[in-house]
Amino acid sequence: MLSEGAVKEINELTGKYANSRSVVMPALYVVQREYGYITEEGMREVANILGLRPIQVFEIATFYTMYNKKPVGKYHIQVCTNISCSLLGAEYIVDVLSKKLGIKVKETTPDKKFTLSAVECLGSCGTAPMMQINDNYYEDLTEEKIEEILKSFR
Amino acid sequence: MATVKINGKEITVEDGTLILEAAKGAGFDIPTMCYHARLSKLASCRVCLVEIVGQKKLQPSCVTPVMHGMEVLTESPVVKSARSSMIELLLANHPLDCPVCDKGGECELQDVTFKFGPRNSPFGERKRRFHEEDYILSPVIIQNINRCIQCKRCVRICDEVVGASVLGSIERGAKTGETSFVKEYLDCDHCGNCIEVCPVGSLMSRPYRYQSRPWDLKGVDTVCTYCGTGCQLTVQARNGEILRVISKPDKGINNETLCARGRFGYSFINSHERFVTPMIRKGGTLEPVPWNEALKAIKDGLTEAMKDGRKTGGIASGRLSNEELYLFQKLMRGVFKTNNIDSGSRWNTGAVKSFANVMELNKGGISVYDALNADTLFIIGSSISDENPITDYLIRRLSRNKKMNIIIASPRGLKLDSSATLSLRHRPAAEGDILGGIAKVIYDKNMDKLKDLTGKEHLKNISRENIPDLTWTDWSSIESVSGFMLSANSITIAVGNDVLRGPSRIESMHILAEALRLLGKDVKLFPVFDRANQRGAWEMGVHPDILPGYSFRDGDGLGSEGIIDAASRGEVGALYVVGEDIVSDFPDGGFVREALRQVKFLIVQDIFLTETAKMAHVVLPGASFVEKDGTFTNQEGRVQRLRKFIEPQGDAKADWEIIASIGEAVEPSFHYGSVSDIFKEIKGAVPMYRGIDFEGLDGNGAIVKGSGIGGQGAGVVAGFSLRPKSEVRSQEQETPDPEYPFILITGNHLYHSGRLSLKADTLRDILPEAVVEMNEEDAKAMGVSKGDKVKVKGDRYEATLTAHINKRSVRGVVFIPENFTDVPVNMFFTKGKGFPRVKVLPLSSLSPQGRGPG
Repeated sequence: MLSEGAVKEINELTGKYANSRSVVMPALYVVQREYGYITEEGMREVANILGLRPIQVFEIATFYTMYNKKPVGKYHIQVCTNISCSLLGAEYIVDVLSKKLGIKVKETTPDKKFTLSAVECLGSCGTAPMMQINDNYYEDLTEEKIEEILKSFR
Repeated sequence: MATVKINGKEITVEDGTLILEAAKGAGFDIPTMCYHARLSKLASCRVCLVEIVGQKKLQPSCVTPVMHGMEVLTESPVVKSARSSMIELLLANHPLDCPVCDKGGECELQDVTFKFGPRNSPFGERKRRFHEEDYILSPVIIQNINRCIQCKRCVRICDEVVGASVLGSIERGAKTGETSFVKEYLDCDHCGNCIEVCPVGSLMSRPYRYQSRPWDLKGVDTVCTYCGTGCQLTVQARNGEILRVISKPDKGINNETLCARGRFGYSFINSHERFVTPMIRKGGTLEPVPWNEALKAIKDGLTEAMKDGRKTGGIASGRLSNEELYLFQKLMRGVFKTNNIDSGSRWNTGAVKSFANVMELNKGGISVYDALNADTLFIIGSSISDENPITDYLIRRLSRNKKMNIIIASPRGLKLDSSATLSLRHRPAAEGDILGGIAKVIYDKNMDKLKDLTGKEHLKNISRENIPDLTWTDWSSIESVSGFMLSANSITIAVGNDVLRGPSRIESMHILAEALRLLGKDVKLFPVFDRANQRGAWEMGVHPDILPGYSFRDGDGLGSEGIIDAASRGEVGALYVVGEDIVSDFPDGGFVREALRQVKFLIVQDIFLTETAKMAHVVLPGASFVEKDGTFTNQEGRVQRLRKFIEPQGDAKADWEIIASIGEAVEPSFHYGSVSDIFKEIKGAVPMYRGIDFEGLDGNGAIVKGSGIGGQGAGVVAGFSLRPKSEVRSQEQETPDPEYPFILITGNHLYHSGRLSLKADTLRDILPEAVVEMNEEDAKAMGVSKGDKVKVKGDRYEATLTAHINKRSVRGVVFIPENFTDVPVNMFFTKGKGFPRVKVLPLSSLSPQGRGPG
């Protein structure tokens, strides 16, 4: 169940939008923060708070890749694999991460610390190749840089 | 107007006409997939692309309006190639499993591909695959999303028309598919309209699954006999066995939409529980006899029973055809020599007469589309979403694209509330005071203009102070409703059956309508009936004081209630009941049963051996709606054809034939050879039907036209009598009783209507047992959640039921559907009293040992 604070936060969000369907996206971020990913229960709760049918929340949750439909590790690494990053070696970056973490894309390390995802454009083409770990960007990536970044999380 | 050239052909159309429609009018066929005439436009499939000369890009014709001087090409090489590519893309992920697909033979994707598509498929990639086996989505739907082409027609119809919003588009890009929340079992109307609009075999009907190929089906267009909306439907059978009911886009007011009852409620026709031979009581039991013996028994029994000046009477269902109802009243008046006839079970006969007058039913019908063309729509006295689902769908769909304030007044929360501007929740039986309150506010604000308002003195009884007590609604809500009416130019008041419970409601309705008319408003009164031919029954004269054609009389004829009262005093010699189970349906079932025991000779005609039939001296097997011809007049006053499709089972006969042969047995001149002969006679007796061509009635039927001058609103009505309000109120309003805190109301359920629907196995799968619906807060206070068993206890009857929660219902009221034979809600009622009071006991508190820990 969502915490009281989370419910309050979603209720407050409704004041900022013209209709309840618009609140679904920010509300889902609250769910993701609370549960770590988008749970069925969480979607039902959002629907209930906003007076929608669960399918109307489910549609949005499955459309956007930024909502995790499965549990992720403590650090969710999302590597941009869209055009600019790909031209500058995104695939190589994914390979490096995969090797260092010992997991494939869409997998989580056994210690539940890291999840590796390949995602579409994160809007930082000027600093490609890049990735996002939880809420932060890591840009102009090289193998060395990745080594350093990972070390800081271990 | 705009003049455009389509493929070189010049046509002139209204401004804003879509290219697709214009081309269709000019005789050019543009293929479509996602387009649906009555839904919002999506333009996502791109199959309808056309070339507009002078524009570089092709445009989707389903959303592009014509412009004056525009030149459109629908068959140019570039269009053909683009269109073919679009279809190719749809096919890229379509499984092409046509041999095992139910839709084969009537699949729009098949047809469009055959006519416009590519002749080869270059895609070698793996097709997306959501699941291996089809999965069950609801009691009526089975799904294969692999076949989905993402047209979203199902999502749109569910949201925009049905208002259930349980389907959605999940995932994105090539993986998109339309389905339910986490493949969850649907909690919706189970109307199957999503199946109807699905162009491919993604959403399929479970009852029809693997039953037939469409080309093996033979069908007939007929009219639904469940509620007063009067939907057109097509019944289809293979080798004489009815396999499905569909609806066609171009037929009827419902165009392609049906409710669960209309679409899935047909299998009672083949129920093995039907009785199919006449039976007469011999030594306590009913025994099969041939028809001639049964008719002789009736003739003899009737003569015997009418001796010593005993009364006779007849009660006929509002679900019989016009021809049957007309013959019925003729038989009763001519052969049984009585005006003791009625159709409804719960209604005050005086109220019916006033209702017919105030609604000006004798001035002709009104199309639902005209009625819904109003600035303000006020709905009262009907659980419209449950009683008349397609009227609910029509209102939702038509109100989407126009500014119409919908105001609903009802004790129960209705699905249509979500489309309403304002919903009033009121105490049961308070319709008269709600209407009176609104009239009062309007009168107070416009006293100078309403000096001559008839009946204004009756408004004195209503005040800001007593409204909350009388109606459980606050004055400010009443004021808001009045405000919406005063600011509107056109107002439609949709009035349901509930106002027929007493004349005071009709009086208030009359005053309100008159006040609005005096203020120059265009006021339309639109009746909403739960029985398919209720209006027809009155028009044919099945009422003690109404002769065919609304010829009103003041006589001593008895209505249903009066007949039963007379029976209880042993005054009724013979009673003829057609298609009504009065023992199960009339208030105070125990009293009715006792009264019928006093009837010397009881004839019951039905298709099932109902509780009433079991008491009869003679029972006669009637026919179901597909086994006979006739006409029905729906709530609009639209006459539609019922068409015979299969022969009646066993020795059963069309009900009109039975009525005619009873008449003929007593008086040989009472002879009718066909339904059209009877209709001819009706045309003579009922002036409103004169213009109707029986043979020529098509899918849209014909609306009856009044013989009088002018339309609605011609002024004060003749024969309109009022009763003292205090008297009425004391009859209807129950006294609060702390021991029984809830008021029990009854009615049809969304999935059931009358008694036949319970014999239809699909509907029984959807809702197998009676439920009790209550307000969410009330349920919470008792610790009851959805699905819990509770005991509902009145002072004379109790039943254990499954709890349903209605978030929007008024507190202090519970609702039990009246359709379940094993929970005869009429047993809760006490004759002469209003709605019964009950208490609700959660089952856990009844048997604590059953719910102990561990």
